[in-house]
Amino acid sequence: MSTTEILFYFLSALAVFSAIMVLVSKSPVHSVLWLIVVFFTISGHYVLLNAQFLAIVNLIVYAGAIMVLFLFVIMLMNLNTQTEPQKHIWMKLAGVISGGCFLMVLISLVRQAGDMQGKTALMKTGNIGLIGNLGKALFQDYVVPFEITSVLFLSAMVGAVVIGKK
Amino acid sequence: MNAIIVSALLGVLMMFSGIWVKNRAAITNIAAAGLLLLVIANLLNTYGVWVIHVNTHGMLEFQQFGLFFNTIAFTATLLYVLLSGRDMERTGADTAEYYALVFFVLCGVSILTSFNGLLMLFLGIEILSIPLYILTGADKKNLRSNEASLKYFLMGCFSTGILLMGITLIYGATGNFSFGNSQPIPGTTMVSAPFLEVAGILLVFVSMAFKVSAAPFHFWTPDVYDGAPSVFTSFMATVVKAAGFIAFVRLFSMHTALMGPSWRIIVTFVIIATLLVGNITAVFQQSVKRMLAYSSIAQAGFMLFALYSDNDLAKEGILLYSIAYSLATIGIFAILIKMNDYTFDGFNGLAKTHPVLAAANTVFLLSLAGIPLTAGFFAKYYMLASAVKAGGSIWLVIIAVIFAAVSVYYYFRVIQAMYFKEGTPSVVPTGKSFHTLLIITAAAIILIGLFPSWVLNFLYF
Repeated sequence: MSTTEILFYFLSALAVFSAIMVLVSKSPVHSVLWLIVVFFTISGHYVLLNAQFLAIVNLIVYAGAIMVLFLFVIMLMNLNTQTEPQKHIWMKLAGVISGGCFLMVLISLVRQAGDMQGKTALMKTGNIGLIGNLGKALFQDYVVPFEITSVLFLSAMVGAVVIGKK
Repeated sequence: MNAIIVSALLGVLMMFSGIWVKNRAAITNIAAAGLLLLVIANLLNTYGVWVIHVNTHGMLEFQQFGLFFNTIAFTATLLYVLLSGRDMERTGADTAEYYALVFFVLCGVSILTSFNGLLMLFLGIEILSIPLYILTGADKKNLRSNEASLKYFLMGCFSTGILLMGITLIYGATGNFSFGNSQPIPGTTMVSAPFLEVAGILLVFVSMAFKVSAAPFHFWTPDVYDGAPSVFTSFMATVVKAAGFIAFVRLFSMHTALMGPSWRIIVTFVIIATLLVGNITAVFQQSVKRMLAYSSIAQAGFMLFALYSDNDLAKEGILLYSIAYSLATIGIFAILIKMNDYTFDGFNGLAKTHPVLAAANTVFLLSLAGIPLTAGFFAKYYMLASAVKAGGSIWLVIIAVIFAAVSVYYYFRVIQAMYFKEGTPSVVPTGKSFHTLLIITAAAIILIGLFPSWVLNFLYF
């Protein structure tokens, strides 16, 4: 096994493990901390794909800014196990059934991974994730969606002001 | 493209008008003028005149079908502002901002009618949804409005997450953001992995079904429609919902071949569940507003036939349905907002005290029920006929007709309360122009019911 492969398997295993820990942890603060680990492993994957810019942005924006906000909100709300609402048994059952159905679909996907090999979209060259190429794609092929996103942010901003104003 | 640019600019204009114009009625007038401008800009686009030439790199595609729906949506919004603008001014202090958000929603609508690929679909749906979360919570002092807003926001976020997951799977399978057909983006190889794509399409379907409140993804609808200020419920239940359906139909008409016959089984299940939940639950409601929320689920069941049959008749049908449903529902809500009591008993004796309101309301309700000579009849007829023409199951059509008959019961309860029960309804004073507009709307519904081809001809010329 090459170093890249070893790194890939290590990061993947860590990502899956910490994602499960996000769900299993009793304390919300621990969940958030595990989620930060997930973001770090995903950033590691980005680096393996030669997309350093995305890796850094992912760390700064998600692991840095958003998760800190998350942590603040959770600490301010002072959640603990006592205040957690009790769900009805039927609700839990319905959740298990629908989640199980979805899991079945996804597992049947993975079972066909043999067929999928070499069929999914593959990067031909390793430099598409570099910042220069990303910028070119963003401002040439994807310039219309890029500009239209500003309407989205503007409406969110107006909304925040409307909600926040007295 | 005209509509997208002009609506975004008008949104910004409305924000600034909040600073410069203090008179709220004037703000409503500016919004109405803006909408008129928007309709004209869109009509120009339909006939080949562009405000600015934009190379969209295949991200957007402007066809007669989408542009014609734009015209319908903008005209319906204009009618809505003229009928219910006064009430929007009363909802809260930020009238100009509400109008700005309405214009941003319309920008989302015009993206949804012209997207070509999942990336633009996602942007359109988000631009459509985010202003709605705010408008739902516009009545900040009302706890139910707050609850509805938060509920809508959280559920909407989940559905967006599911949509993104689906888009990711489709992208992984095909290497581009459009459904299956076009060229891969540079730097990737494109090969097909159908199972991965099918799983992605299913997730996108779930998310879209949530947005148009089809069962079993409808649970947010009654609470949100009931909790939101009635003016905004009116907008959400009509223009926004119809736009969701147009996006749904455009998206899935591109690719149904991939799924084969199993596609119809899924849609059949969703149609029957939606008709069942919407109609049966609406029968037991005591509040007219909540009944209308369930009736909007029931009407969604009929609109889903456009997905089932996926032919030209279905496309004409969904446009006709959008017009019939939007006009009637905007009219009913405009009257409902004027009532102080939202229960069925609140309408008792309305015919004696306010004959014009009662008569117009009757026409709207008859149209929603699908009685002949109203637009609603032809809307339902086109949807069912398209299913028959597409060689669909005749049982599905029979079930739909039965549920249409069930819907007559709860619509007629309102008519019965207005005409055959004694009472003194308390109604906010209404002006002459309001009455005139209601009569015009009712007349339009009857005219379209008599000559549906007048409207549908615009689709081809």
